[in-house]
Amino acid sequence: MNPEEKAWDDLRAAASSRLRPGFARGVLRAARGPGAGAWVALRSSAAACLRPGFAARVVRAARAAAAGPSYASQLALSAVTAALCLAAVLLLHQRNQRLADERNLAEWRAIVAFAQEIDVHGR
Amino acid sequence: MDETATKDLVDLVRRAQRGDESALHELIVAYQNRVAGFVFAITNRRDQVEDLSQQVFIKMVRAIGGLQAPSQFESWLFRLARNTCIDQLRRQKLRRIFLPFAEEHENIAEPAGAVDTEELDALRHALAQLRPQDRALLALVQEGRSHAEIAVVLATSVAAVKARLHRAREHLREHYQSNHEP
Repeated sequence: MNPEEKAWDDLRAAASSRLRPGFARGVLRAARGPGAGAWVALRSSAAACLRPGFAARVVRAARAAAAGPSYASQLALSAVTAALCLAAVLLLHQRNQRLADERNLAEWRAIVAFAQEIDVHGR
Repeated sequence: MDETATKDLVDLVRRAQRGDESALHELIVAYQNRVAGFVFAITNRRDQVEDLSQQVFIKMVRAIGGLQAPSQFESWLFRLARNTCIDQLRRQKLRRIFLPFAEEHENIAEPAGAVDTEELDALRHALAQLRPQDRALLALVQEGRSHAEIAVVLATSVAAVKARLHRAREHLREHYQSNHEP
């Protein structure tokens, strides 16, 4: 083998050592894409994830979900609860306001009476 | 699907629409494997297949009364399945933003015995590289949906579906290798 041929052989060997094992199969896969068999395997694998009695469980769960409160009724209940809370807060606020007004008025009356008394004695 | 099978399916759907439990049960049994495969193709998660398939069929049971054209049942069912899976993936994405540790729990290794064949492993790896919308598109095609039906599901034109499908197939082919190394 002359030096040039040897150099070419080395180059080929170095290049081919960079290829992953199963390179040809990988290229064919990439060129053809997944065949029907791969999709069938995917579906079988997924079907195996379903436990026996799946259909009966789904029908039961659907019936149970239908028997429960609907979104509309839950929304209505939330709205009524919020309205009641707001009304309670407003009533409490009004009551506190009224009590504070009465207390302030009584104090002012006492001050006025005291002032009048001082005024009378002063004269 | 031949004419007799279509007629049988329409009859079954009509019975289910009238609230016949056995018809609902039959419909679920008839489609559970296909829906499970469809869900798996989109989510690529075995542990979510049963839960999501159940969600799809519960939606089906609750909404089948409103289905106008029983002959369009299959197309309608796979639209429900597609929307359920895409919603689930969106929720997971949001959860990852707000609960960064949740990701750890979502990546629990699959139990022993759940080893895939080389072919399935390659397909799962390739699907995982695609956007969920493209996975759904390819899964819809695998379920025999026409371009026109897919266009209705995605609210787009047939030409756009063809273009997206072409791109998705190209990407899938690119990544369809048995070896996961880049």
